[in-house]
Amino acid sequence: MNIHPVLRALGADPALLRNSLETMRRSAARWRERDEVAGVLAQMEGFAAGLAIEECPALAALFRQGDCAARELALGFVAETAAALANASLGYVGAPHFADGVLSTLLLARSGNVTLSLVAVDGAGLSEMPAPVTVDFSDCEIWSHVLSGTARAEQVERIGCDGNGAAFDRRMLRLGPGTVFNRDARRFALLVHEVEGSLVSLRLQRRRAAAAPTREYALADGTMVHQAAGNARDSRSELMMALLGRMERADAAPLLAELAREAGAAALRWQALRECLALDTLTGFRTLSAVADTVDDELAAPARALRARLVKTHPRLAEIGPCQA
Amino acid sequence: MDLPKIDIASLPDLDVMTGIFGSMLEAARVQCSDDTVVILMTFLYELNLTI
Repeated sequence: MNIHPVLRALGADPALLRNSLETMRRSAARWRERDEVAGVLAQMEGFAAGLAIEECPALAALFRQGDCAARELALGFVAETAAALANASLGYVGAPHFADGVLSTLLLARSGNVTLSLVAVDGAGLSEMPAPVTVDFSDCEIWSHVLSGTARAEQVERIGCDGNGAAFDRRMLRLGPGTVFNRDARRFALLVHEVEGSLVSLRLQRRRAAAAPTREYALADGTMVHQAAGNARDSRSELMMALLGRMERADAAPLLAELAREAGAAALRWQALRECLALDTLTGFRTLSAVADTVDDELAAPARALRARLVKTHPRLAEIGPCQA
Repeated sequence: MDLPKIDIASLPDLDVMTGIFGSMLEAARVQCSDDTVVILMTFLYELNLTI
């Protein structure tokens, strides 16, 4: 196996690796301590707690047409990082990042459900991708400011929807340096069709705390083709519930019953009901009944149907009364 | 009370299924429209050295 001498040296001397990490860490810290950055970071917490962007002036300035704050913030990060990499050529940029040849994303800051990131779309990579056939709408607000590059993009507005599909209003947009594009992603989606060079934007996103599912529609006819959990927490909870179920952890049933009854995404609550029923018939069936008898609960109808079916299959269940506790 | 054990496989899903966070039908599409990728990578990059 050929190992590059630089890598070999790094492997042989843990201090080298530590120093390289430390160099990168210090550069990130220096950037965060800059006045213009510290102000932005300080306001992200309040913004995550629900303040309007106008109440967070440092953040608002980043997404104001004609304001150079966004460019300065991004250039500051790039300058610090590039300088650090010059001294630590194999340094790891500590900010979470993603790249797939077309899209590159670098997370600059995060506070709760708010993220501030640099996003680059590579024109050459994009030109090799098939044209999009679906569009999705998620429960978040997005502010973006193009820092460099130009693109032909399309705004897709969802102008009406029901359980099966949606209608769209589509309009083409030109994006270029200085373009500010702020949107409620429940209603507006952005498709980037063509990029000259590389389109780099600063993006601020706030996902609603109990975000509703993301819905994906076919562009051709508006048919809903997929629905996904709107926040990672729901999916994580669902996986944990499935694990508890497979481990036959009957002691988790009261917790699952609680999840099934409290406010939350219908999909998550339904899975909690299913797992609860399978782990502990008594607790599960009582919870199912409670949901079935609730007015204004979107799960009431499916819960009633399931209760009727279960009682038919297992008549003994009809003897279970509500919890006396 | 002696109650039957219910097999989870016998319990139906809702009419409209909900996929896991970040799942998409058109997986090939460039996800430059929202922050899904950003949120997923915080799970994938546990190192979290600086931020």
